[in-house]
Amino acid sequence: MQPLVTLDTQIEDLVLKYPKSVHFLTKNGIRCIRCGEPLWCSLGELLEDEKVKNPQELVDGLNQFLKEQDDL
Amino acid sequence: MKAKAVLEKLNVKDVNVGACAGPDDWYKDPEAEESVSYNPATGESIARVLQATEKTYEQVLEAAEKAFKSWQMMPAPKRGLVIRDLREALQEKKEPLGDLVSLEMGKIRAEGHGEVQEMIDICDFALGLSRQLYGLTMHSERPAHRMYEQWHPLGAVGVVTSFNFPVAVWSWNAAIAAACGDTTVWKPSSDAPLTAVAVQHIANQVMSSHGLKGIFNLLIGRGSVIGERMINDSRLPLISFTGSTKMGQHVSEAVARRFGRTILELGGNNAIIVAEDADLEMAVRTILFGAVGTAGQRCTSTRRIIMHKSIASELTEKINNAYKQVKIGNPIEEGILMGPLVTKAAVEDMMAALEKAQEQGGEIILGGKRLPGLGEQFVEPAVVKMPKQTEIVYIETFAPILYLMEYEDLEEAIHLHNEVPQGLSSSIFTTNLLKAEKFLSHEGSDCGIANVNIGTSGAEIGGAFGGEKETGGGRESGSDAWKAYMRRQTNTINWSKDLPLAQGIKFGD
Repeated sequence: MQPLVTLDTQIEDLVLKYPKSVHFLTKNGIRCIRCGEPLWCSLGELLEDEKVKNPQELVDGLNQFLKEQDDL
Repeated sequence: MKAKAVLEKLNVKDVNVGACAGPDDWYKDPEAEESVSYNPATGESIARVLQATEKTYEQVLEAAEKAFKSWQMMPAPKRGLVIRDLREALQEKKEPLGDLVSLEMGKIRAEGHGEVQEMIDICDFALGLSRQLYGLTMHSERPAHRMYEQWHPLGAVGVVTSFNFPVAVWSWNAAIAAACGDTTVWKPSSDAPLTAVAVQHIANQVMSSHGLKGIFNLLIGRGSVIGERMINDSRLPLISFTGSTKMGQHVSEAVARRFGRTILELGGNNAIIVAEDADLEMAVRTILFGAVGTAGQRCTSTRRIIMHKSIASELTEKINNAYKQVKIGNPIEEGILMGPLVTKAAVEDMMAALEKAQEQGGEIILGGKRLPGLGEQFVEPAVVKMPKQTEIVYIETFAPILYLMEYEDLEEAIHLHNEVPQGLSSSIFTTNLLKAEKFLSHEGSDCGIANVNIGTSGAEIGGAFGGEKETGGGRESGSDAWKAYMRRQTNTINWSKDLPLAQGIKFGD
């Protein structure tokens, strides 16, 4: 099955399609909306900018979190 | 109020074109992607927009560049007359435009209408400014020489605005830029495209009545597509960007790489210091407006209260009582004080921030819950007592969260106040002149805006608006903010028959 979110997913798409991902990411120290507006980059670029050691691991965690939500 | 009637009054259709340079210049591209604008209170679709594409971007930029060539040569007071007519057109559409602001981004009607009033006010200011683009005259050190400076228009100015003031911030830029002889290319927030379409129709009507086009231009599209294109486009010598610190850094780097200029209006983390001698009734009313107004989604929203230990219990109780009176609901209804957050994502951001605050020792003493009975994007405003200024308090969460902290002496209060990385707006409530003056002094508030006995939000257009540190340093709106929209030229004229050099240098005499 294709993951819902990948490193190439644009933040603008992420917050629109899967708003709950903002909760997961903020709790993990990654802020993808600021001043109420999404950042203009991909999730991978944001994680690189935030110096996340294992970006894929975080994305896997996010996909798992999203799967567990019953009201996506 | 019926949404359909509001849209009709503003010429907004079910499907709208997102690229425009004038009344007959709405640029359609069959390749355009469609986006939907939702009512944050109901979740219903309001209308759709065909986003700008590479092709229509080029058409708009060419129109803005072409229009600049003749616009810059029109005498500034004549340009002022166009702005005067824009003011009149906005006045005529004040009610429906204010209503559309409420419908599309969720602020209450009074605030929506107030925002359009701000547009009218800045047009008044810009009309006056069109006769006051003054340059200095200096006394030359050389005999029979005259030295002075003059201000020339810059070109097409890129304006990127945020959802929270979807029309006022455009007008701060567009009206001043127009007085200065610049054209503007506007990329509004993807969360508020319809208000931009409505404003463009109003601007088109004004341009048309003067036989103009390309002065006020619109490009609706994603930040990662249209925004990126704009900040890297050397045909836009100035980018005025309103948004987050993180995005502001990116914009600043991109524009600086091509030696362009920026006006950055970025994040705030605004605090009110409440001294032991403050008028608490007045302070509470101000805090409520500052923290709950626009559901805590203003750049100038009050996010931190730094209160003297001796009045902390009393003030906390008064704040709690005031919060309990806040009616939350559909922002277009009478009597509502707080509407929804702009997106579902914003709700998630708020909830995660509250969890973090609790992990860092904060106690939610009021609110902070979702209100699903009203709709997915409604929340209770939260009051959180913090034991100290922890990591989460340093962060600007764009939601109605108010952090309460205590202090023992004014030095400590000012230290706490200035400790955050942002520097937009600030306030002290005190009846003591010495405390007020200390707060306004060099060693006081480090913000671009510092007030005494009024809150952090609700600025007038007459002052320069903006902040320091991570707020970006830009200034918009009143005072001499217009200078950022022009280029300064120093001129020296020799009306003698000699050729004296500056600094008395002799060269080949």
